Amino acid sequence: MGQVAVTGVGAVCGLGWGVDALWQGLRAGRSGIGPFARFDHSQHRTHLAAEAPEADSPDLSRRCPGWRRLSIADRFALFAALEAMEQAGLDPTTGTMPPEDVGVYFGSSTGGMYESELFFGDFLRDPRRARLSALVAQQVNAPGDAVARQLGATGPVATFSSACASGALALGAALAAVRSGLVDVAIAGGSDSLCQLTYAGFNALRSVDEAPCRPFRADRAGMSFGEGAAVLVLEPLERALARGAEPLAVLAGAGSSCDAHHMTAPDPTGAGAAAAVEAALADAGLAAGAVDFVNVHGTGTPLNDAAEWQALRRVFGERAGEVPLVATKALLGHLLGSSGAIEAVATVLCLQRGELHPVRREGEADPELPVSLVLDAPLFLPDMRAAVSTSLAFGGSNAALVFSRWAGPAA
Amino acid sequence: MSAPVLVTGVGTLGCWGSGSELLAAALAAGVPLASEVDRSAGYHLANGARRACLVPAGQLAGWLSPGESRRMSPPSKLAVAASRMALECAGLDGGEEERTAVVIATAFGPSTNTEILLKQILFEGPESASPSLFMESVANAPAAQIAIALKARGSSLTVCQREAGPLLALGTGAAEIDAGRARRVLAGTVDEMTPLLHALLDRFGALARGGPEGEELARPFGRGRNGFLAGEGATVLVLESAESVADRGGKALARVLAWGSAFDPTAPPSGWGQGHHALARGLRRTLERAGLRPADVDLVVSGASGAREGDRLEAQVLHAAWEGAPLPPVAAPKAVTGEYGGGLLASAVLAAAGSRLGPAAGWQAADPDLGIVLCDGSSLPAPAIVLVTSLAAGGAGAWAVLGRGVG
Repeated sequence: MGQVAVTGVGAVCGLGWGVDALWQGLRAGRSGIGPFARFDHSQHRTHLAAEAPEADSPDLSRRCPGWRRLSIADRFALFAALEAMEQAGLDPTTGTMPPEDVGVYFGSSTGGMYESELFFGDFLRDPRRARLSALVAQQVNAPGDAVARQLGATGPVATFSSACASGALALGAALAAVRSGLVDVAIAGGSDSLCQLTYAGFNALRSVDEAPCRPFRADRAGMSFGEGAAVLVLEPLERALARGAEPLAVLAGAGSSCDAHHMTAPDPTGAGAAAAVEAALADAGLAAGAVDFVNVHGTGTPLNDAAEWQALRRVFGERAGEVPLVATKALLGHLLGSSGAIEAVATVLCLQRGELHPVRREGEADPELPVSLVLDAPLFLPDMRAAVSTSLAFGGSNAALVFSRWAGPAA
Repeated sequence: MSAPVLVTGVGTLGCWGSGSELLAAALAAGVPLASEVDRSAGYHLANGARRACLVPAGQLAGWLSPGESRRMSPPSKLAVAASRMALECAGLDGGEEERTAVVIATAFGPSTNTEILLKQILFEGPESASPSLFMESVANAPAAQIAIALKARGSSLTVCQREAGPLLALGTGAAEIDAGRARRVLAGTVDEMTPLLHALLDRFGALARGGPEGEELARPFGRGRNGFLAGEGATVLVLESAESVADRGGKALARVLAWGSAFDPTAPPSGWGQGHHALARGLRRTLERAGLRPADVDLVVSGASGAREGDRLEAQVLHAAWEGAPLPPVAAPKAVTGEYGGGLLASAVLAAAGSRLGPAAGWQAADPDLGIVLCDGSSLPAPAIVLVTSLAAGGAGAWAVLGRGVG
């Protein structure tokens, strides 16, 4: 079984449009969580989110037909996909990439729900007033389809919607497709935009913090919302090297599991989450001792972080408290169906650049969760070899990805 | 693929009632099973579609506990009931929980809960949103509830790819077994058809409208087709490795010989494209994975639904894949089961297991432009190789190749 390289990444999130904006924000520990304007939230219980900056929003209408009619989630997806393809040096219009050998694997939890809400508001008041065209891209599969349509891909296209694990599960499916030879190039990621349904829903569950989220801290009180998209281009390492591409990292393994415990509460023993990580490590052929850091799911809810700590203890044993943890959601908020994808991009960037991004030290450490969270300043680890990224979702769906550092063909 | 994945159980609920025996009887009779949709909310056009293939009341009795019935969304209830039915059909009563995966497709997710939540949020204020409705509004609620009900701790995956979703779920589930990640998979699909969803599909012009006699019929590949009958229900299959089935002395209804998918980038969102050559290439690749050629196919169980342009594309794809050679018999069970809810998936397994697919409900005359005459099933020998097809509005296409069961 050959290795699978990551040859391009693209992202949009509350820190800005593009991977450079993402990385600069991450390494500075800058939070994108703050007041937002996507919808009127004055009647909601909380009032913060990491909203993609509208002022920086690119106009891709020349490259992408119908850009102005696309949902926000579709625009995020297209932007991230085009950025990732450009970095990978792949251009579907040049004939160097047979369209039938390109697959698109995407995750989303709500697709164009924001636009659907605008439609339903009109429709339920007066069906004659509502514009049906607003519903065309409301499907959960719309962002992935939009990417395939834009790139002219004719290989497999599949959208996974397993709540917060969607993006990571899509990457796992993409990895399997590349390994099996089903596709030569997989464009994998996720996209979700802010919408009232999820904002009100998680608030109804009292899972949202009124302040920016503080994963693993003693006074953590819930998650913060984010939005955006992330895309990774995957291809066989040998193929990438043969065409002169520079791999950013290797996607070495993927694993998934289900808690089978409760619709919203995680299994407090962490057994399900640990099973996903152990499956991913086995898939990568790595022992837990080879892992240099973990990009944790780290939502900041009391129950999730406690369960994740138990999972880390199961996987890493006595070393659990020493493994550096990166908590990307503290800066980007929770991107829901796209979170696994953008945290995968963050993991790749950390591995590639030899430094782990910090989060601000907010509140006291939780003595019950003695983790080694990277706080306040980047942690430089130039000799890193491997990292794990975890996604633990509503409904008990767990996914884990293992990335290896690419240190050149001789390494 | 290392060894065929076996289908050892089917659980299905739909307009035909609950259980594959009732579905087989409905397919053999070829009788349309649509009933009146509740139009009292005022969502529908005055002259719009009136009928859908709805699950009759009382079909869940005995499959769910009162607590489950109380807290689950309609799709979760259907999916859990179908899963238990499938396990019973397979002769399974638990076991292998750590290595049992769940892969469920849904086109629209829990629409009832989403609609109520949106009304609460938009008209009563966001603090009115019900937490219990929200947790059962996510697309993966049915898969999660199956896992909880059956203690299935393998992968839990929800696939959303509209009409191609059920076959993608079948393929994704088979891949879990083929790669050794699971020993047993519950793979299938679920959807509910609410009055709001029905009204919106009709406003998009997707649904069959009444003819001169007023009856709405799907008429796949037919000259008079003018849309599909919306359906609802759930179908869940038990997939197992050959080794697993042999170990427990089980019996297979069918073998999954190959699966595949492709995309037509010429398709607009929610519409049909012109890219039949690309889709035909995907179909042929799927057959090649099973070591088969188009000529080896004994029966096509087509996802044609009566959609005007969708059926045209499906016909073009089949003719292109066969390169102009005569097609094998083609059946279109969605004329009976409706679109969405798993009727196609269950029908395909029944066909591979030897059930006769009868005349297509509402069939009058072939569309001369499409060149496909539906079989009435009356004189067909049991097929050895069944190709199942499903194209989706928006561009996706998926296929599965099924063989007769063994054991």
